[in-house]
Amino acid sequence: MRGAEPALTVISGEPFKRRRNWQAIITVVILLVVGFLVVLPMVFLVEESLNTGDPMAFPPQEYGIRNYLAIFEEDINVLWNTLIIAVMATVMAILIGFTLAWILSRTNVPGRAMLERLMELPYYMTPLVGALAWAVIAGPKSGFANQLWKGVGGGGDLVDVYTHFGIAWVMALFEGTVAFVMISASMKSMDPALEESARVMGASKLRTMLTVTLPLVMPGVLGATLFVFAEMLGSFAAALVIGIPGRIYVITTAIWDSTLAYPPDYGRASAMGLALFVVMFGMLTFYRRVIARGSFATITGKAFRPRPMDMGRLAWLFFAFCMLYILLAVVLPIGALLLTSLQRFATVILSQAQFTFANYQTALALGPVRTALVNSLMLGFGVASVGVLVMTILVWIIYRSQLTGRGSIEYLVMFPQAVPRLVFGLALLWAWINIPISIYGTLWLMALAYFTVMLPLGVRTLAGVVLQIDKSLEECARVCGAGWVYQMRTVTLPLLKPGILAAWLLIFMACVRELGASVFLMGPNSKVIAPSIVNAFATSGTELTAAMALIQTFTVIVALVILFRLTRGMTRELT
Amino acid sequence: MSATRIEVKDLVVRYGDQVAVNGVSFTVGRGEHLTLLGPSGCGKTTTLRAIAGLEQPSAGSISIDGQVMYDGSKRRSVPTEQRGVSMVFQSYAVWPHMTVFDNVAYGLRVRKQGTDELKANVERALDLVQMRHLADRGASKLSGGQQQRVALARAIAFSPTVVLFDEPLSNLDAKLRAEMRVELRELQRRLGITSVYVTHDQEEALAISDRVIVMNVGVIEQIGTPEEIYNRPRSRFVADFVGSANLIKGRPVGDGSFAAEGGVTLKVSVVHKPTGGETEVAVRTAYIDLEARPGDNHVPGTVRQRLFHGDFVQYVIDSAVGPLIVRRPPTNLLDEGAAVTLSFSPDHAVLLEV
Repeated sequence: MRGAEPALTVISGEPFKRRRNWQAIITVVILLVVGFLVVLPMVFLVEESLNTGDPMAFPPQEYGIRNYLAIFEEDINVLWNTLIIAVMATVMAILIGFTLAWILSRTNVPGRAMLERLMELPYYMTPLVGALAWAVIAGPKSGFANQLWKGVGGGGDLVDVYTHFGIAWVMALFEGTVAFVMISASMKSMDPALEESARVMGASKLRTMLTVTLPLVMPGVLGATLFVFAEMLGSFAAALVIGIPGRIYVITTAIWDSTLAYPPDYGRASAMGLALFVVMFGMLTFYRRVIARGSFATITGKAFRPRPMDMGRLAWLFFAFCMLYILLAVVLPIGALLLTSLQRFATVILSQAQFTFANYQTALALGPVRTALVNSLMLGFGVASVGVLVMTILVWIIYRSQLTGRGSIEYLVMFPQAVPRLVFGLALLWAWINIPISIYGTLWLMALAYFTVMLPLGVRTLAGVVLQIDKSLEECARVCGAGWVYQMRTVTLPLLKPGILAAWLLIFMACVRELGASVFLMGPNSKVIAPSIVNAFATSGTELTAAMALIQTFTVIVALVILFRLTRGMTRELT
Repeated sequence: MSATRIEVKDLVVRYGDQVAVNGVSFTVGRGEHLTLLGPSGCGKTTTLRAIAGLEQPSAGSISIDGQVMYDGSKRRSVPTEQRGVSMVFQSYAVWPHMTVFDNVAYGLRVRKQGTDELKANVERALDLVQMRHLADRGASKLSGGQQQRVALARAIAFSPTVVLFDEPLSNLDAKLRAEMRVELRELQRRLGITSVYVTHDQEEALAISDRVIVMNVGVIEQIGTPEEIYNRPRSRFVADFVGSANLIKGRPVGDGSFAAEGGVTLKVSVVHKPTGGETEVAVRTAYIDLEARPGDNHVPGTVRQRLFHGDFVQYVIDSAVGPLIVRRPPTNLLDEGAAVTLSFSPDHAVLLEV
């Protein structure tokens, strides 16, 4: 492949020269744009975090580290909350993930294929919807669980979700499936013969699991723990919906809160955001180390035919565990929201219920809500369509060209993954307030932000497909006389089609549910759906909020159904 | 026009610190079928890909039909698609999203050939590989052997002057491989294409080539016709890698004589200019007789082991010059323990270069 050494000149065929340069031109343009989008906001953020003068002044008049010191002096309880909740949530998520992974990859649980499919569902339910639903289910007094408790004569509240544990519980439920995917990947790459030889030597099933399975999958579990913990530190939705009414602030909600103050304390918010970013970046780097070391002989890259252990009657117990998880993470939340959204005043005592479609009518007729939904759909279509095209070229450059420094391009593109959405939104906000191009408060800025934060998701999905395509399919086109553009059009892009469609839908879904970056960038004329749902929860009744959340979920489900249709049999990566 | 199609001079290809090809020079004549033979990692595929322009060399030059395709000193390189070569890939690289017809027509469409002419050319190419009846079949529904044929038809459809083959038969099962070998040789002769062929299969290389280049660790060990390579291996590596040979240790004593270990003096043939420092003589296992023939070297020995292979019988003979392996036709079997006289012509005892 060419383009490796730009200094080389073509000696034959002058007329071909323009065709040859396309690759270089497109590469340079895309790199400049991506570099600008990814790096620049972070530069602004660093500068603002060191601003100790007037927080709204740009460039800052005074520099210092007072904003950082303030975190420890004034917000130490926020740090404690963050840590406690993240640890609790991680422990629960890993327990859920490990148990599910072991059941589904190592035992003969009935209906395994169906269960494995179901386990993907919580991932597509957003944490925001989950948090709203659990507020409806387990809120004090009016929560469904407490209504029932009072109905059977119980005194006080049975459960209260507005606590540290409540926040952690909701986060764990929806991050549990990520842990499940990561841990089952490491279990599936383990040679079953390793377990079988333990059985042959006379070990019981439990002993085999404790002495062979567990130690062998430990690196995988550790990797998942680090990853999930990093996600927990940066998670926003549950802490926003449940934490703020309960007056429990974690770092992400504290960042948001300090920008709502008057005047907004962007310096303080930036310092907290950067501190969070540094910690998360450290965790993710450590995670990569753990994964890269791979350890032991289990991870050979070879897929083994799973030979599950016969669990006898216990298998039904495991089946019940899996179904319980789906019940808590999907069925109960959706059911509660559905019930709420169909009533004038939400109650679980059906004899008192007044059923109505009014909430849906309001949601769809209410100007701001409808605009927000339409905006989100438009952004989803636009960002997914343009984004996929750009990302495909990026992926091709990273994994197929011999361009020098393509490793650093990969790093650049994957960088937004290490930045919490919320922090990235803040960085973009500050950058575009001060860049003299007036797109702040418009959908254009939202589109740029979405594209940037979706880069890792899209690139990873597409890379999985690009790497599956034998390189010689492309080389053969060149040998047959095709130039780069012709080869991309006739061979590479058609072969990538399923992957491109999958990436399009994943990005579309992610855009429709986007919350973290949106809360900062949404202007009065550029409302999108997820932050609007949060606003509705804070200002209007839960009934309307539930209807809006379900409309959003329904949109995602439609996209999801299409995705499954298109990619049946295609391996999908969650993490 | 000169008789030379491809000229490779002092080619060097580096991957980072590793040198994959280290100063390789050879020429390929018009209509010649040249094979690059060697173990994996010897640089044969890299050399082929450098000719195609798929690999960026670090130094040296490559020219096709007198036109410079790559010149390291002038920092010039013609991109793959403008070199006018064609290639059959190890993985076939048949595009799964196209029909057989579209696959074969690709190179013609790139060259903007008219519909009628294009159809005629595709059909001619498909006829050559007996695949015309499957022209409308989706390429993903073909068997390995059929994909191989499509890849071949595609490579020759646009009448290239040079076709490069990268281990095209290595993914086929043994029987099909033997068939395709015959067909490939036939096709190559009929069309008069110049071809460079890469393989690690020495039998294949000897059977289908006009000339063979044996490569090892990035350099050429020997260039010659299949007979020359087999009968006159230059180095221990060639003797060992191509066919099977016994290596007898000792030292040359001048005038075509070799003092072997065990006090036996052998008459050997010296192809190269001897330095006197040589230490080994190669004798093909197939060229040793177990009955004394006049004019041969004679070494007494005893049969230690007999392995019956079907097409031949392999004996391990303990002799004065050490244990030797001998392959004979499966007639007149000798028992283990039998006393024999090893007999081989001085022509077949080749003094190896150091």
